[in-house]
Amino acid sequence: MRRFAFAALCLSALAVSTSAFAADYPARPVQVIVPYNAGGGTDLAARVLAQSLEKYLGGTVIVRNQPGGGGSIGTSATLHAKPDGYTIGTGSQGPLVMLPNYGGIDYGIQDVDFLALMGRNLMVIAANKDAPYNNAKEFLAYAKAHPGEVTVGNSGAGGANHVATEGLAMEANVKLKPMPFGGSAAAVTAALGGHIQSVIAHPPELINHVKAGNLKPIMVLEEKRIADFPDTMTAKEAGTDFTWAAWKGIVAPKGLPADVRAKLVDALDKTFHDADFLKKMKDMGEDIDYRKSDGYKALAMKDAATAEKVTRAIGLYGMNAKK
Amino acid sequence: MDATSYILHVLQPEILAVIAMGTLGGIIIGALPGLTATMGVALLIPMTFGMDPVEGLSMLIGIYVGGIYGGCISSILIKTPGTPASAATVLDGYPMAQKGEAGKALGMATIASAAGGLFSALVLATLAPQLANIALRFGPAEYFALALFGLTIIASLSGDLLKGAIAGMLGVLVSCVGADPISGASRYTFGFTGFAAGFAFTPALIGLFAVSEVFVQLEHIFDDRVKTMKVSGVWPTLADLRESTGALVRGSLIGTIIGIVPGVGSGTASWISYNETRRASKTPEKFGTGYAPGIAATESANNAVCGGALVPLLALGLPGDVVTAVLMGGLMIQGLAPGPLLFQDHPEVVVGLFTSNFIANIFMFVFGMAGIAYFSKILLVPKKILTIAIALFCFIGSYAINLNVVDLYTMLGFGVVGYVMQKFNFSQAALCIALILGPMAESNLRLGLLNVDNDVIKFCSGPITLTFLLLTPLSLAWPIWQQRRAKQKAARAAASGGASS
Repeated sequence: MRRFAFAALCLSALAVSTSAFAADYPARPVQVIVPYNAGGGTDLAARVLAQSLEKYLGGTVIVRNQPGGGGSIGTSATLHAKPDGYTIGTGSQGPLVMLPNYGGIDYGIQDVDFLALMGRNLMVIAANKDAPYNNAKEFLAYAKAHPGEVTVGNSGAGGANHVATEGLAMEANVKLKPMPFGGSAAAVTAALGGHIQSVIAHPPELINHVKAGNLKPIMVLEEKRIADFPDTMTAKEAGTDFTWAAWKGIVAPKGLPADVRAKLVDALDKTFHDADFLKKMKDMGEDIDYRKSDGYKALAMKDAATAEKVTRAIGLYGMNAKK
Repeated sequence: MDATSYILHVLQPEILAVIAMGTLGGIIIGALPGLTATMGVALLIPMTFGMDPVEGLSMLIGIYVGGIYGGCISSILIKTPGTPASAATVLDGYPMAQKGEAGKALGMATIASAAGGLFSALVLATLAPQLANIALRFGPAEYFALALFGLTIIASLSGDLLKGAIAGMLGVLVSCVGADPISGASRYTFGFTGFAAGFAFTPALIGLFAVSEVFVQLEHIFDDRVKTMKVSGVWPTLADLRESTGALVRGSLIGTIIGIVPGVGSGTASWISYNETRRASKTPEKFGTGYAPGIAATESANNAVCGGALVPLLALGLPGDVVTAVLMGGLMIQGLAPGPLLFQDHPEVVVGLFTSNFIANIFMFVFGMAGIAYFSKILLVPKKILTIAIALFCFIGSYAINLNVVDLYTMLGFGVVGYVMQKFNFSQAALCIALILGPMAESNLRLGLLNVDNDVIKFCSGPITLTFLLLTPLSLAWPIWQQRRAKQKAARAAASGGASS
């Protein structure tokens, strides 16, 4: 009995403290963990977001970089943080839906509370100006006639761009040769120099080279053609029903107090309707595609299924799992 | 509007003040181990959002230039490379400071940094579009050949060839830890997610050089003799400068060219420059004992990389290293896309950045020379306190980079390795070079072979690849030949000495 009374006391104390906590949230600075280096795309986007979020959350928001392990270290820190709303993080496609497939990761997609999707980074295949194909149909036809000869540079082994290339090849029933570089810039440079035939990257990484006439856009992995490359076919138009885009949003560990979560989600919603914020993101080349919690979750779940299918097919599934 | 008015725009007091602030901040960031130019630039980008584009980017360039220079201060004074770019400066800078010539060493480093920086600024301003294409000539095979050539430095840097080779091989092996560059699978991590990306480089470097030195100092920490260091004047003598001219020219050229090749970086440039200068020297045995040209070679090269790295960034929109990638982000936020079109559409920005690069180098020189007397005061701190302070800084610096406890294990582990190497006369520099170039050689060899379907002949056939591959055995044979000649000379001298007596 005494033990029960003690437990009840503890519980009620806990309840009181959490509710007091939530009422004046945020009472101290809110940390946004970015699992990548300071100065990268995700980091800059998170810093611009933090500036606007402060206005609507009514407290300080600071960005904390915890890079390493392809983003898994920082993402793990976010998902294993105390769910009190003071630690949230950016949730990117790579660490959330790709890395768990390879094994050796201490979290899974089921541990994620998806708060808001910030944007998607569209995928475009572009080729060196001298490559023997000029559009998506010719590209696929060439790949079919020359199996395993079409080199497609990507930003790194097992990353979104790599898996997208393999997914496209599976769907189109061709054999491509993905070339993993250390980052997108290196892959684009190699394609520009003609060391590889083509590269898969995001539009802001390609557009200036296309405008300068050194790369030609070949294929867009979207449902519809995109504004940056209006004359470039989608994979779908070329007869291969495959779409893929990388994305990032804001996530939290599961188990946030309901009122804290509501306040966060509301502040994020207002931020994504803030004209000044949207303009800054646009100037940075970030495609804002705001989706609420449910939409974000649905997108992540769909991609997780595709990624698992592709990684199983190319033999990367579980390669880092402890045996 | 013409070029003159664009230049005058930068010479306004407000912009000059911003560049001065950036450069000074960069020097401080660079001098603190663990805080690098990259972090400085990245953390201050949000400040530039509200600024005029030239003003904001000028500040970032100031931080970049100051940050690369600042690293030499801690290299020379406390044997802790403030940034990886200054690791090679430890070799001659630290012994020179220990001889009581810290002021002179810092003076030489400052002059060399300014010389390299201004040379590459000149190249950037005059030849950027013409030279930018060098960046495109480097594919995987070329990078591999360059890395292999770079690895031969190990042979000439380590007095004992066998021990040097062992240290180098150890470095290459250690750099295999982490994700396989082609398949992405984790190698040798023993299931620790923390090492999934391999050992973090800066903590490893801090461990190898600084922590190992702390261990050495700890052996003597209870000897109660107070040894106060002498700090000499700041200007190298005319004779030092004359001796270093060749080193300055070579360092500036090597730094600028390596800067233009994307992704190689200032660390590699300073090692290659050090080695080439030593090779060309009439007195190679003086290198590593506190010899001014050794400092001149490394510091002119690493600062020349700054201007070089801006060439492909501005002319082609290709960022070569992390700092320039961050700078590119800074340009994009301002709605300016670097590349050929930038020169046509926004000449005011291009000329403005050229100008501020010059000015940042001049500020760096002025602040550096003025600051030497203050920096050197560190050496007046009693050894006991200094050693403990350095140990503390090693921990803070290594943790600050990624906020990752695993990096502290890395630092300590490399500290122990460095200590053992020092005790048994293995070259720490050889390990350091292998850590930089090993991964570059591996990933590019495999990527290049994948590209040509394992056709080795095709892989080796590019002119740049072939040149470096042919230079590699020559570079390996050189120190062996030199040692033999020195031995013969000594033998002959002994023989003739014996005959005459």
